[in-house]
Amino acid sequence: MTETLSALLSGFGVALQPLNLLWGFIGVTLGTAIGVLPGVGPALTVAMLLPLTVKLDPTGALIMFAGIYYGAMYGGSTTTILLNTPGESASIATALEGNKMAKRGRAGPALATSAIGSFVAGTIATILLTLLAPVVVEIALKFGPAEYFALMVFAFVTVAAVLGSSTVRGLTMLFLGVLLGLVGIDDQTGQMRFAFGVPELMDGIDVVVLAVGLFAVGEALYVAAYQSRQPEELEKMSGSLWMSREDWQRSWPAWLRATAIGFPFGTIPAGGAEIPTFLSYALEKKLTKHPEEFGNGAIEGVAGPEAANNASSAGVLVPLLTLGIPTSATAAILLAAFQNYGIQPGPLLFQTQAALVWGLIASMYIGNVLLLILNLPLIGMWVKVLMIPRPLLYAGILVFATLGAYSLHQSVVDLATLYVFGLLGFMTRRWGFPVAPAVIGLILGPLAESQFRRALAISQGDPSVFFTHPIAGALLLLTALLVVVPWIYKMIRERRARSAG
Amino acid sequence: MLPATRGGRVELIISLGVLALGGFATIVAFRLPEAGGYARIGPNFTPKMVSAGLILLGLWLLAEVVSGGWRERVPDDPAERGEHGFHLGAFAWVSAGLFAQMALIQSAGFVFAAMALYGCVARGFGSARPARDLGIGLALGVAVFLFFVKFLNVNLPAGWLKPILGTAGL
Repeated sequence: MTETLSALLSGFGVALQPLNLLWGFIGVTLGTAIGVLPGVGPALTVAMLLPLTVKLDPTGALIMFAGIYYGAMYGGSTTTILLNTPGESASIATALEGNKMAKRGRAGPALATSAIGSFVAGTIATILLTLLAPVVVEIALKFGPAEYFALMVFAFVTVAAVLGSSTVRGLTMLFLGVLLGLVGIDDQTGQMRFAFGVPELMDGIDVVVLAVGLFAVGEALYVAAYQSRQPEELEKMSGSLWMSREDWQRSWPAWLRATAIGFPFGTIPAGGAEIPTFLSYALEKKLTKHPEEFGNGAIEGVAGPEAANNASSAGVLVPLLTLGIPTSATAAILLAAFQNYGIQPGPLLFQTQAALVWGLIASMYIGNVLLLILNLPLIGMWVKVLMIPRPLLYAGILVFATLGAYSLHQSVVDLATLYVFGLLGFMTRRWGFPVAPAVIGLILGPLAESQFRRALAISQGDPSVFFTHPIAGALLLLTALLVVVPWIYKMIRERRARSAG
Repeated sequence: MLPATRGGRVELIISLGVLALGGFATIVAFRLPEAGGYARIGPNFTPKMVSAGLILLGLWLLAEVVSGGWRERVPDDPAERGEHGFHLGAFAWVSAGLFAQMALIQSAGFVFAAMALYGCVARGFGSARPARDLGIGLALGVAVFLFFVKFLNVNLPAGWLKPILGTAGL
């Protein structure tokens, strides 16, 4: 405990250095500015800005990324409330009530409760992260390759098969991502795989190109084809920002409850913020004293999901930092940011790079304060960003998106690959394939493969290690149950329905 | 029972595509060397597993197609999704912008490539003022170039503007 505290204090020493503070400030500002753009979620924001930090030192760059990550979420909620086009699935719950509030002229309090709620939840969740991370590190230090492999399989299956509307489509995207991850040189033998002699493919497929292609180019193609000829509906930023006494009284319990839901969900591989935001929405709907307002703009319905969203995104950093396992698309891209600097997150990171990792955690406390300051008084400025007509907005998004992908290797091949992934993104959106499993598969696939081979190398090729090690065995069994049980349950129910009918 | 609707036919094509990808990857995987070492499995093991997985998933998708279509599918009718029908012109203009950028970026430089991209995409989204759009695209290109090249040290090609912007970009 005292160790954690002193580590955190030295982290603040790093994060408060003027230059790092500046990177943090640039991060939250850029994150908010880009996150506020409709259709641009945190994953895309981080992916677009990732190649632009290559010349920074790792600590500064990662502090900037933490800021971008949080800033993009704050920005996204503004868009959701005023435009009713949730940029990502985690914002859908907010859109239900937030946009209704804006329509009734209460956009101000809706934005305020979401910003303050995000601050409260983000800060509490960061405290929980600070306390929990060293504990997980202790456990994780005992893990061997077999345990890591089992954990990664567990993450794969929950993200791809259990979440989302269709198991088969989720798994298809996961396998596609893993296949793309195989492209390039095999780390362990130097063997070239799936590169077909194309020099650009030998380094592998960059997660930035995949994420920007799927999220930005795919999104632009889709919106152009199916939504660009529709009128835009932007709610006026009306009403004072100040929340009334009643607003406060209804908001703060929702913030706290949502934090309690959001953080644990973030820490387990459950696809990020989507489930906790809906759970929080359902809980608030159940507990409210004003059930008649739900569906017409109830403030609890904004306060809860927004707080849950932020708490879970801090929770996502627990497995990312302590185990090196990303459980959302955004976390996968953050992992790529670490890898760009040759840093592999995991328990050893807390020992070998203590200044970096604690500086990063400390910067999150600071980032939350900066975001509150940026968002409350400057909300009017972000709203102006939304008033840019859609043609100019999307044109700008694509300029930034292609800039990020091109600057990786100054290569036209990357731009062509980007377009191919854009077409893939268009198809996935039209035909209901989730994209997060592909991004996670691309980045986590090679790591899972190398843990698998290391485990087998240690056991001299005996595959029973995955079952005889208790933790690995239990995780793999749990994974199998997660897939099989719902399936059997459905079969039984269908059979019963048939025999009854 | 082959699908009768247009949406169903696309499902069939995508399912076959996944199957074909799996088959192709299998062929590539079987040509990779074994080179096992202590682990007894080499660089060809994961590719084989992943290709087999894709084949199984392709078959699974196909099974859904012939048994009444994909489950929990996105509605085919755009009105049901709150959207309008497929607008080919919009799709083509956005694509054209991206191709123009690919064609221009090495020779004409980042700024003009960005200008072309900006103009085409804005046009694709229904803007009727090409001169204004190109102007904004040019200004944005210059601003981005200066910020990223001079401030963040990111390399971008200056192209035709080399005499003005200097060689910092290359």
